[in-house]
Amino acid sequence: MELRDETQKLKRAHVILKEKFGYEQFRAGQWQVIQDVLNGHDVFAMMPTGSGKSICYEVPGYLMEGLVLIISPLLSLMEDQVHQLRKIGEKQARALNGLMHPQERKRVLQKINTLRFLFISPEMLRQPQILAVLQRTKVSLFVVDEAHCVSQWGHDFRPDYLYLAQIKAKLGYPPCLAVTATADERVRVDIARALDLRDVRQLLMSVDRSNIALIVKKVMDNSEKVDQLIQLLSKVRLPGIVYCAARDWTERLAEQIRLHTGLRTAYYHGGMDAVDRRKIQNQFLDGELDVLCCTNAFGMGINKPDIRLVVHFQFPGTMNAYLQEIGRASRDGKQGLAVLYYTEQDERYPSGFIDMNFPDDTMLHQVLVELDQGLLQTEPKDNFLETLQGRGASETAARFLYEQVRAVPREKRFLSILDECRRIIRERRIIQMNDLKVMKDYINSNTCRRAFYQSFYKEKQQHKPKLCCDQCGLQFDAFSGEESPEDRPHSEQILEWRARLTLLLKGSDHEK
Amino acid sequence: MIEESNKLLYRDELILYLIHCFQGERTISGIYHLLKGKKSAQSIQDSYLFHVEPFFHTCEDLDRMEFDSLIMECQHAGWICPKNDNSHHYILTQMGNEALAGQKTNLFPDGLRLTDYINDESQYWLKLQLMVQSLSALVHHQQAYLPLTHVPSVTESVRRCLLSTTLSRHDLANRFYEELVRLLSNCPSKEADLLVSQLTGFKKNGLTIRQIAVLTDRDNYECRLLFKSGLRRVMKQIAEKPDQFPYNSKLLHTQRSGLSRSAAETLQRIRDGLSLGEVARSRRLTESTVEDHLVEIVLKDPNFEVNHYLTDELELQIIQTATAAKTRQLKAIKSQLKAQASYFQIRLALARNAVRKGETFGGTSR
Ligand SMILES: [Zn+2]
Repeated sequence: MELRDETQKLKRAHVILKEKFGYEQFRAGQWQVIQDVLNGHDVFAMMPTGSGKSICYEVPGYLMEGLVLIISPLLSLMEDQVHQLRKIGEKQARALNGLMHPQERKRVLQKINTLRFLFISPEMLRQPQILAVLQRTKVSLFVVDEAHCVSQWGHDFRPDYLYLAQIKAKLGYPPCLAVTATADERVRVDIARALDLRDVRQLLMSVDRSNIALIVKKVMDNSEKVDQLIQLLSKVRLPGIVYCAARDWTERLAEQIRLHTGLRTAYYHGGMDAVDRRKIQNQFLDGELDVLCCTNAFGMGINKPDIRLVVHFQFPGTMNAYLQEIGRASRDGKQGLAVLYYTEQDERYPSGFIDMNFPDDTMLHQVLVELDQGLLQTEPKDNFLETLQGRGASETAARFLYEQVRAVPREKRFLSILDECRRIIRERRIIQMNDLKVMKDYINSNTCRRAFYQSFYKEKQQHKPKLCCDQCGLQFDAFSGEESPEDRPHSEQILEWRARLTLLLKGSDHEK
Repeated sequence: MIEESNKLLYRDELILYLIHCFQGERTISGIYHLLKGKKSAQSIQDSYLFHVEPFFHTCEDLDRMEFDSLIMECQHAGWICPKNDNSHHYILTQMGNEALAGQKTNLFPDGLRLTDYINDESQYWLKLQLMVQSLSALVHHQQAYLPLTHVPSVTESVRRCLLSTTLSRHDLANRFYEELVRLLSNCPSKEADLLVSQLTGFKKNGLTIRQIAVLTDRDNYECRLLFKSGLRRVMKQIAEKPDQFPYNSKLLHTQRSGLSRSAAETLQRIRDGLSLGEVARSRRLTESTVEDHLVEIVLKDPNFEVNHYLTDELELQIIQTATAAKTRQLKAIKSQLKAQASYFQIRLALARNAVRKGETFGGTSR
């Protein structure tokens, strides 16, 4: 009897996939995770960026009684997920985060029993009144997105994630699905322990995205880089993203590209006004841009399946970050291309960033002393962070210090953690320097690029795609765009105010 | 003789003009904060003191890098130089003075002077953009869209405006459309175009100021100033005749005084008969903050009575000292008057004097 119920459920999963999401088939990995979830197991799934992990909890959401609770660390990810669900007509999906108006939060909590999906930040989940409401609700599935944030080994360690096991217990141990894009053995052990996963089923997909071809190009200097990039962009299929290490490069490159290729080009970085960032992002999502030059501030929560090219104008500090960034190419499964340009001068960027991840020793000492003297306060958090940034600390460094000092108990002096802080900084620096070395080895390796990172993640290379990498004899010609830039639709901008206003506010059926 | 190369770009003229107004009495950061619209007592007071309040908050999206490179540009061209070595105070060189004087027309748009509702400028603009985006999605039956902003006060206000009407979505969009057409018809078309090009809606993503600058072959600063001029004209019409623009007026909280909220609260308590010390204690503020409020009040309300704090004789003495020393730097004035006047009294006197002299904006001071 029970078995029949199960097969029924699985059949219905396929129907949901087709009717709600419009896909004919589950993609690799999705089906296994959904089966395990529907059978009530705790599941740990490592799925590369772009393999459709959200389907793994969205489809069960339609088959299980109650609320799917998704813990997500980033506002932009949350917002995108809700948006994607709204687009397919799902009205019972909401988000709860700290930036919302209290009224709005109240409205969400009031309708909690009618909701199917609730995306929530880990900080929100710790608030007693919110937890109390959730305790009165049936939570069918407890999803931890970006589960590697629970591990202190990771770069994205989030202290609030450490309370998730406790919260899960308070909610009566609903089945738990922990998902992440990449996690090495060490991090995986951390996740299982910290989230108290029981009778856990694991899905470890390869980090490899075989439809993305890989090229590393060594050049003499930056001006050669710019020349090569411009040539590349006028040859290969677009749209594309060009990742830069610094804000001023995004602006400079965008201008060069626009001048020399006539492509629709824009730039995006964290220093821009929030509304401007949103506009540029939406233009890119809606296909109004061919090339976007950006820093790594762009990409989280971006869901655009037809990005054909990801260029790194400077290389990132870790293999993880690199795979995540190139993983934004061709999520629709078609052929994509990743090109990394390298000159020796680029070396200074990532190691500079590692230094910036931590407060320097003078600042560390000074801050602890001032906290003891009462010249500085740890709360409110934003003030503390702002003060440190005002003194020249990066945001990451300020956050690091905050995590350290807020754990100091009342009766202890802040200065007492000085040596402990130094030790942690030393340890994390070593890890990060190692990560950087792996990235450099990748660039300098003279074997197959794909084989290189697969071996780094201790995976066996299964099959080599026809379009593999520059070491395997790949040429740019294979990626020539079928259309010349002149053929590209040039969406005309309407700048005359009356005409534009009419288009915006007069619906197509306004005569009615 | 002025050479052809001395023909100033818009951005150069703007910087030269502001440096001319500040006369080396404030650092280059002071000019940056002015354009950016930093909400500090110092920036707000300076904008009145040096008669440059129309420029306050005109370049909200300016970043320091862009600004610094413009200063470098002007220095390389030989138009400006540090007042003395290693100083962040800049003045015009002779060449700079000539170049500025050689500009025949006054480029800065008039709407900038309408600063009465400047405190609500950013909020209203965000609300207007979100309102248009929401209405556009509604009339085009768009299932989902990514809202331009998540600022809670903005989303709540737009939500309330959408829900508080019994009109159908089409009717509401029509009313809004009709109001905006009336509002914008009273603006120069250059300004109206700039404002509307930034608006987002169904299948029309708004452009950023920088994108518009490239498309229209103007510089970023010119576009920013034109936009702010248009926006201020729109806000003024709404604030003065709210019943003619009932829907837009729901998005605009008008405080005609233009006082910051905190200063308005202080003013209320002074009118209730509290002394400065009492206001400070009752509001848990420092006395110097309350003094900042008072200076702000004086700048924005010329009829505000200050006899309690500053006698006519002392005021005259302060102004004479400042005029003789040709400075508006507090320290310099204080060092001459010593114990006769407090810093607070000097600031009050300078503020009253600035208001009395009235606006010199728009080239008349040259
Ligand atoms: Zn290969």
